[in-house]
Parts: sequence; C-alpha cells; structure tokens
Amino acid sequence: MTKSKIGTLESIMLVLTIVITHTISSLPREILVSTKSASLINLMFVSILVILFAYLISKLFKKFPGSDIIDVSEFLGGKVFKIIVGVIFISYFLVSSSILLRNFCESLKIIYYPMTNILFIIAMFVIAICTANRLDFNASLKTNLLILPLVLASMVFLFFSNMNKFSPERIFPIFGDGLFDTFVLGLGNIASFGGVAFLYFLPPYMKQPEKLKKVSMISIGLSAIYLILCVATLLFMFSFFIDTNEITPLYNATRYIEFGSFFQRLESVFLLIWILAFACYLSIVIKFSMSIFKKLTNIETKKPLVDIFGLLILAITLLPKNYAISENFELKIYPCLVIGIVFFLGGSILLLANLVKNKQKSSS
Amino acid sequence: MNKLFRNLFIIILIIIFVVAFSSSYLSLSMDNLAYVLAIGIDKSPDSNSDLQVSFQFSTTSQASEAGSTEKSPTVINSVTASSLSTAINLMNSYMGKELNMSHCKVIIFSEQLAEEGISDEIYTLINNTQVRPSSNIIISKCTAKTYIEQTSPELENLISKYYEIFNNSGKYTGFMPDATIGTFFNNIICTTCEPVAILGGLAKEQPSNNMAHENFNITANESSIEGQNGSENIGMAVFKGDEIVGELSSLETIAYLTMHNKVDRFLISIPDPEVTGHYLDIYLTPTGSTKVKIDTSTSSPYIKVKTKFTGRIYSMSENSNYLKPEILDAISNTCNQYLESVFSAYLYKTSKEFKSDINGFGKTAQSNFFTTNEYNAYNWHDSFKNSFFDVKVDTSVKSGMLITQTEDS
Repeated sequence: MTKSKIGTLESIMLVLTIVITHTISSLPREILVSTKSASLINLMFVSILVILFAYLISKLFKKFPGSDIIDVSEFLGGKVFKIIVGVIFISYFLVSSSILLRNFCESLKIIYYPMTNILFIIAMFVIAICTANRLDFNASLKTNLLILPLVLASMVFLFFSNMNKFSPERIFPIFGDGLFDTFVLGLGNIASFGGVAFLYFLPPYMKQPEKLKKVSMISIGLSAIYLILCVATLLFMFSFFIDTNEITPLYNATRYIEFGSFFQRLESVFLLIWILAFACYLSIVIKFSMSIFKKLTNIETKKPLVDIFGLLILAITLLPKNYAISENFELKIYPCLVIGIVFFLGGSILLLANLVKNKQKSSS
Repeated sequence: MNKLFRNLFIIILIIIFVVAFSSSYLSLSMDNLAYVLAIGIDKSPDSNSDLQVSFQFSTTSQASEAGSTEKSPTVINSVTASSLSTAINLMNSYMGKELNMSHCKVIIFSEQLAEEGISDEIYTLINNTQVRPSSNIIISKCTAKTYIEQTSPELENLISKYYEIFNNSGKYTGFMPDATIGTFFNNIICTTCEPVAILGGLAKEQPSNNMAHENFNITANESSIEGQNGSENIGMAVFKGDEIVGELSSLETIAYLTMHNKVDRFLISIPDPEVTGHYLDIYLTPTGSTKVKIDTSTSSPYIKVKTKFTGRIYSMSENSNYLKPEILDAISNTCNQYLESVFSAYLYKTSKEFKSDINGFGKTAQSNFFTTNEYNAYNWHDSFKNSFFDVKVDTSVKSGMLITQTEDS
C-alpha cells in the first residue's frame, strides 16, 4: 500500500496538471474575453478567493482524516448518495478531459498533421495513457513530477523571451468593463482553477494526509502565478484575443520567439512539452476515475478497467461533430461544470458533512 | 500464445499508425514542396476585383549545384485570381508542387492595392499556419511584381538571406521600421493603435535633387542611390485600419522609431551653430525610453513627449574645435531645436493629416480612464485628430569621434 502513496511535491504537481493543460488549450483567452484589460486584477482577486476555498477544504477534511469526497458523501448520504457523487465526478473527469483532448488534437492536426485522420492522433494519446496506467500506481505521477516543472519553466521562458514585444499599457483601463464586471461577473473565472477537483481525492493517497493544507495552498498559489504569467503574456503581446478567436493562443505567442537567426521556430519544442503534459494529465484523470469506480463497485483490481476507460475517452473525444462544438463546450459548459461540481457540489458535501459530524459529536 | 497475440497486436498497431501518419509526413516532405521566399500582391491590370499574385521561389537543386560565389537563381511566377487562396491553389497546380510559406520572409503589396484595403489578404495569410508572424510587410510604390523582379542583392548569394537581414539597417539608420505581418495584424485589430509598413520602391526611379543635408528627408523611389539592386526601402507607409493613408520620409521614420524606442542610433544633419550655411552630421543614441504623458481632461488630448539623446559629432572639417564646452552646448541646443521641430511636425502630420495613431498613444491614454466605457465615451479615434503636442528633446553632444580638434591648413 505504501507504494501507492504519494509525496507532497507529487500532490502539488497533480493539482497543477489540470490548470496547466487547460491553459495550453484556451483558458487564458476565456479569461481575457470575460474581463479584458482587467484580467490580471480579476485573476489576483479570484486567486485569493480560491486559496481561501482551498484552505476551507483542507480544514473541512480534518474531521475526515484519510478520506476522500466519496467517503465523505457516504457518511453524509449513504451508499446511494456516494454512487451519485462518484458517477458525477467520473463523468466530469472523463468528459472534460476528453473534450480538452479533442481540442488539443484539433490544434495538432491543423499545425502538424493536416492529412492524418484525427482518430489516429487521439488514439496515440489513448494508447499512451492506457500503457501508463498498466504500470505501477506511482509511474504516471512520477512522470508528471518530471514533466510539469518543464512546462512551468517553458511558460516562464515564453514570458521572458517575448518581453521585448510587450505593451504593458494594455493593462489599462485598469478595471476593464467596470467594477461589477471585474469583481462580480468576473467571479466566473474561478472555473480556471479546476485543479481543486483533485484536492477532494488526494487524502487517501497522500503519505502525510495532514499536509493537505500545505499542498492546497502551494498548488493553488502556483496555479495562480502560472495563470497570471500566461494571461499577462497574451494581454501584453496581442490586442486581438479579445475579439478574435485563435486556436491554442499560447502557441501563437511561441511563434514570436526568436533569438537572432539561429534560434527560431521554437514552437515545436513547446508543442512537444505540451504533448507530454497532456499525456500526463489524461493518465492521471483516468487513474482517479478508475479509483472512484473501484470505490463505488468494490472490485478487486483496477487493471481491466484501463482499456474500458481508455475507450470511453476515445469515444467521448470523437463525439463532437466539429471543432466549434468541442470549443463551445470548453468555453461555455466546462466553466459551469467546474463551478457546479467542483466548487458548489464538492464544497457543499464537505460543509454539510462537517455540520452532521458536529451535530453527532454534540449529541453524543 | 497470449504473448504472441500481444506482439502481433502491437505490430499491427504500429503498421496502422505508420500508414496513418505517413500521409502528413509525405505532404510536408521537401520533395513535394515549393518554398516561397516572397509574395507580391497587386491589383490585376485586367480586372478591378482580381488580384495579381507573384511568388518568388528558390530553386534548391540549382542552388546546391552552384558554387559558393555564384548567386542562387530564383523563379518568379505570377497568377491572376479572385483571391489570395485561389492564387495559391492555381500556382500549386502549375508548379506541380505544393506552395510552402514557412520560409516566406517578405510580403509585398502594391500601393494601389493598399489604398483599397488589404485586410482580406492579411487575415488569409495570418490564418495560414506556415506564414511566420515575423515576415516583413512592404508597401511598394511600384507594382509588387516589379519590386520582386528588381530586387537583386549585391552582397548576398542567397536572396532568402537578404530578405532576412535587409531591415536590420533600420536599427542604425532609422530609415525603415521593423514592420512584420504579426504586428500589422495586431494593429489592424487594435483599437488604440494603427499599422505601418516598410515603404519600398525602385532605386533611381525619380532621383531627387536634394541638398546633401536633405538626404535625410527622402522616401523610397526618391534616393540618389545607384546600384545593381533595383529596389530600395526607405521610409514607411501609414495605415488607418487596413487602408494606406500616407507615407513618411526617412527623417519622420526616425521620429516614429524614437517614439517606439526601436532605434539604436541614427545620423542627422543639423545646421552648424558656428558657421552659417554649414551642416554638422551628428550620431545620436537614445538614452532611456521616450516618455509620453497624455492629458485627456479636454476633448483635445494634450500629449507631452520627452526624449533624451547623447550625440557624437560625425562630420569633421578644418578649423573644428569640439573641446570647448560652450561649442558642444551650442551644438546640443541646435540639435534639440532641430529634433523638436522634426518630431512635432511628424506628430502633427500623423494626427492632423493622417488621423492615424500609429504611435499607439491611445494605449497610454487608456491609463487615464478606469473603465473601457469611460475610454470609449472619450472616443479616442476621433479625438486624436485634435491632439496638441509638446515635444521636449534633451540632447547632450559629448564630443567628436576620434578627432576632437582641427585647425586651418
């Protein structure tokens, strides 16, 4: 069992994975479209709120040491409620990651594989994640630990190497469309922190579950810095992401990196790193989905589930008829899912469970 | 048996994937591609609505066979079509190879076409994954096709190398901007700035009879340069939206680059304060970035611009004494007055004549407003033409270069 336990750093990287992959896709543009020049202020504001939320989660989990949200739901509403919550979270993980994969593969097809059927590009990822999940529990988490710092470093590199093309004045007007739009309507940008979802499932896998607070704070803090860096790169460089939709906005920024006539066209390196990050993300998502499923059904081993979940991802990925549908899902439905499932449902379950626990304690 | 089945499955899978991805690989194979080095876009001489698109290709096989001292030949083909993408498609068919834009360094538009707007072509090019955002945009005073035909670098064997470095001189002459399709596209969409492009033309088409000191106030087509290279790039084309509204001379281009902090150093000719009718050439280097402050309290923006330079006297004649502080101060003051008049004239030209905020003052003006609605209500686009400018130049001429003092012979 100790082999399947993960350390603090691995846990932090795990939470970061979701934010990073969504940022590679179209997350920074969504933030820019909703809050325009006030995007950075809005992100800082939203980050503080999410850090407080993460702190609250770690506090609420204190009364359920070593349990995840599925165990807490069982405590709160019995087996049926546990199954409902489990199915909701499995569906959320599978659908959101599949659509994200579809969007990323569409970009890959446009950029590098114009003549290849998208099915094969998606299948490459599915085969990779199925193979990774057949290995030891920690294999993909350790790979993630290696890849994610590389992605973080690449974003810092992207920011600094494009600095000479920045127009910092684009941060003005400082409140964008107004205070209400920035601080009230802009609250929708908490959907950027989808990584909070993994915090609900981390405690049983952590070597030291008592460090959940530390993991939450650091991972959300790093996510916030990372997001601010990515959004700042786009905001300072381009004026068009607010009005024009371009696939993988950060890829567009990588095309501007040039150091003399020798170091040009570095976008291929970025894409390679991002492909690895995507594979890690999918691998982790499938791992957690299987774990939830195992908990719901009490099956002995997860291995036979790998192919089934892999095929499920492949099927969902192929569902959208075109890029417009998958992009619309990511722009309009995904944020609602994050707010509804991750923040509202997850938070409510923990809060109510704590109230019940307190009541039980006081009555006993 | 199980292992055999697994291995067989893996082999079949590998074969399927090799076949699936080979089509993309083959389509991007060098043998199947024709690399475009420059695209020239003109209005069709026959039809008003059509475009005449010229493509310049490198002939890779001949280039490798030619010795290192021989110039590698290029091929220029033209096609008339209703749109840029149709033209590319027709040329694909004619060439028997697929056109690849990933090495296209220059995109040339004729002035005639630019007057009608070039947004369709710019959007189409930006939409193409192969076109680099760093490709330069040139507005040619002659037809784009003639410009490409006349471009024949003298010091480079590879024309692609020339296209890559030709605008580097802008950093130390200030005679042409660094105008790429990426920034052009960005500025077309931008609500607070306007695009510009490099102004190109033919050398010696209309040689000017300017006085020597006026050599700094020329545009492409007007220089007295004679050489093998038939084209020249001096000055810049100013746009409002996607339509060209005017052109700026080399001296005005220096002013533009100074506003954008994009010039490393430049040479100017100022009246000698000591000798009437004599001119001094000064090499100026900007120190620090240009400071811009905008007052938007009235409907006419009041724009204050402050720049600083250090200078070295480049021209030298008999009886020059640049060791006396009072002489250097006098030269510095003359320099300040001269540059202030040049920069002011340039700024008023952009606001009153062109009504185009190519300096991106709108971006700075936004800092005066808390919300986009307030900024929109101010209507910067219309207000900019009523702007007033206050230019302050602080030049400190340090000395001559190697010689600081000469006497009458």
